[in-house]
Amino acid sequence: MTDVAREWSEWVRERTAPTTVAAKPEALDHLRVLDVSRANFGGLFASSLLAEFGAEVIRLEPPGGDLARRFSPEGRMIGDTGLAYLVEGRNKLATTLALETVEGRALFQRLVGRADVVIEAFRPGLLDSWGIGYRQCAAEHPGLIWVALATYGQFGPRAPRAIPDYDVANQALSGVVFATGEMPGSEPPEPWEVPTKIGTWMGWYAAGAWAAFAVLLAVRHRRRSGLGQLVDVSGAEGLMRLANYNLVWHAMYGKQLFRVGNVDLGIYPYGIVKTRDGYAFLAGFSDVNFRALCAIMGRPDLPEDPRFRTFLDRARLENMVPLKAEIERWSSQHTGDEILAKVQAYRGAGIVATAKASVPGEVLVEDHWRERGALTVVDDPVYGRLLLQASPLHMTETPPRVKWACRPVGADTEFVFGKYLGLGREALAELRARGVV
Amino acid sequence: MGDDYFEWTERLFDPGQLFAKPEALEGVRVVEAAHIIMGPVNADYLGEFGAEVVKVELPGSGDNMRYVIPDGRPWKNGNPAFFNVNHSKYHVGLDLHRPEGQALFRRLVARSDVLVENLVPGTLEEWGIGYRALSELNPRLVYVADSGFGQWGPFSVGRASYDGVAQVASGLAAVSGFPGRPPLKIGVWIGDYFGAILAAVAVLAALEHRERTGKGQYVDFAQSEGLIRTMDWTWLYRDQAGRDRERSGNRDQAIAPSDIVACRDGMIAIAAGADDEFRGLAVAMGRAEVADDPRWKTLDARLRPEANAELCRLVAAWAASRTVAELEALAARHGFAAAPVLDAATIHADPHFRHRRAVFPVDDGVYGPLADAGPAPKLSATPGRHKWTARPVGFHNDYVLTRLLGLSREEIRQLEAQGVVGKWADRPGAKPPDGWAGEGAVFS
Repeated sequence: MTDVAREWSEWVRERTAPTTVAAKPEALDHLRVLDVSRANFGGLFASSLLAEFGAEVIRLEPPGGDLARRFSPEGRMIGDTGLAYLVEGRNKLATTLALETVEGRALFQRLVGRADVVIEAFRPGLLDSWGIGYRQCAAEHPGLIWVALATYGQFGPRAPRAIPDYDVANQALSGVVFATGEMPGSEPPEPWEVPTKIGTWMGWYAAGAWAAFAVLLAVRHRRRSGLGQLVDVSGAEGLMRLANYNLVWHAMYGKQLFRVGNVDLGIYPYGIVKTRDGYAFLAGFSDVNFRALCAIMGRPDLPEDPRFRTFLDRARLENMVPLKAEIERWSSQHTGDEILAKVQAYRGAGIVATAKASVPGEVLVEDHWRERGALTVVDDPVYGRLLLQASPLHMTETPPRVKWACRPVGADTEFVFGKYLGLGREALAELRARGVV
Repeated sequence: MGDDYFEWTERLFDPGQLFAKPEALEGVRVVEAAHIIMGPVNADYLGEFGAEVVKVELPGSGDNMRYVIPDGRPWKNGNPAFFNVNHSKYHVGLDLHRPEGQALFRRLVARSDVLVENLVPGTLEEWGIGYRALSELNPRLVYVADSGFGQWGPFSVGRASYDGVAQVASGLAAVSGFPGRPPLKIGVWIGDYFGAILAAVAVLAALEHRERTGKGQYVDFAQSEGLIRTMDWTWLYRDQAGRDRERSGNRDQAIAPSDIVACRDGMIAIAAGADDEFRGLAVAMGRAEVADDPRWKTLDARLRPEANAELCRLVAAWAASRTVAELEALAARHGFAAAPVLDAATIHADPHFRHRRAVFPVDDGVYGPLADAGPAPKLSATPGRHKWTARPVGFHNDYVLTRLLGLSREEIRQLEAQGVVGKWADRPGAKPPDGWAGEGAVFS
């Protein structure tokens, strides 16, 4: 690293380090968002992103709490809330409102009148049929921005036959599942030789990220036109746009992505290999980089092997598999950390990239992520000490942040309904008695 | 109300009106000094919604991504993988290593709103065109730097990174795949493409801050850190349970049932997390009693690992003798989720995704008809769009240098002679289709 680069790195660190964040302004603290989504981590991630930037996010859950609070591994709960929701409850106010009741709908419409953005994930057309959809609300509040999440969206031939919006369905439709998983080969096929989803809820998180992106596009348009709009987000299409050249390749050549496990479609070495203590990713696919990798492995003979000589030779699936075996003869003798050290110590031409395949517990103890504050501990008055992922967006002027972790079901109903609707303790007691809040 | 909801949404989102509507980022100019995937796709997402993206490439060979060609088989001298991350951009061949190139770059950035780069941290500083120099010229500049590990921190120093590095370093690979099997590399560049949305969100938030204060800012984004953020309950589980999340194949550990199973004619995702959805599934299975079984009656009960596994086995056994279409029909009738595992061919042929422009057709001036994955969110008033596909290196030199920088033809020719400005090398990936005779050219 040169002096210039080192000095630059230090300059950014000083201006974006986690300790500098809390005192800085927030980019979206002028926006109010109603997140009325249910059982949907797409909606929750969207409102998390906005809340991290300072938007006031009000959750409207059904009395008793959003089902999303119960989506938790092994059904593990802390009090009334599961682990996944505790991650995405950040910076949000928790209120309840029974939209199934006439009174609830009237209160919803009043709250919408005070909001900039609504996020919902009901079956398309359901809120409209209740008279509180975007169409009706926008008639009164033309500046309203309304995000609707649904697997098949709000229009198109398949939209009326909606299914509940789930991560796994979004992933399946996107093309990503078809392109992921171990290669077929065994006869009969092993149970793991199937199209495989991304382990985490990427079919929801992609929807949420696109939804937040679209909200900010709409905010910009509203600033210029005074008009809001309807934003239709499908998690399936959200992930489809992240699926490489799958569709354009098909349009050109009728070819498409398919699963090849831990090698790659089109470039190699670029994949996960066995190490002495687990697995690691290794890449060196261009000619110069492949020679570098072979030098590091002490295998100058490999680039001379006719199967591995050129970029295109190595890109052939039938050659990747034996090349992976050759690499593993070396990599399985070393730990992931040793491989990284050898790669970093290499001084010749070409660049090799590597990292060990860390399990979560290993990621948590890396100094790199600790220093950057990728994860943060929040000492919550209700839920206790919680380890949560922080925002990865390190910004000099308006860094996003986690201010609090999660509020219990209905904890802020009095505050929100009092502040925005003028409903006090007695009015709320009556509504509560009728099951509206 | 309600009955005509879908007629109304069809009118509201009418694809025929798409180009008649305004764009949300009209008037935003983005300079892209980026290569390979994450930086270019970050700029691409902004371009899909109306930003004018000027992509700066090395004269001659251009972005290295031009040569990472699937099967090594260029299409009309272009590269499908490059096309997917470079829509509707203005391609300029400008050598940023050269002082004259740096001077032009400063002039370009001075007239722009956003700079996206993903070079090795510190590179633009070395060239004298880093954030500090540029923000002095243009205090309103929003500068986003995409990288593998960030601009600072132990891993940021001298370490190469690709999407695959981010997949394993974040732990995403370790929680994907089947138990007892290796960690699984996701079959798409998810760290790049997903990271690019998060970075694009940061750009829009920064532009909003600029609307209010007039001030630009700097964004340091690391794709591994982006993946860490998206890994739902992984970290809290490790902290609370004191052990790492295990791989569980296609079975969800926090929603039950939620799995991908084999039908007679294909694979299908099935999910029914809510108790009423689950009851619907049980009825569809002809096994209504399953919904009353104490092992599965409530979501909390179904989430116990043994109960979840047993239930998913029941669902798989039931699905095995059905077709995908039967299960989709049952799902629509009984209120649970079922969706087939689609490949690109099926998505292309699907009237729903085509109608929604999730498959977006472009009749391109240089390359002719093509279709690619369309802008993801559908906005009723300011819909995203693709106007043209990727272009050869330096294709828009004259347009950008004349229109934005006011250079005369003579000046441009001089810069070309010096090698500061240039067009494509005679090489597949960089050059126009064989036999190209100037079709689709702009301002030249």
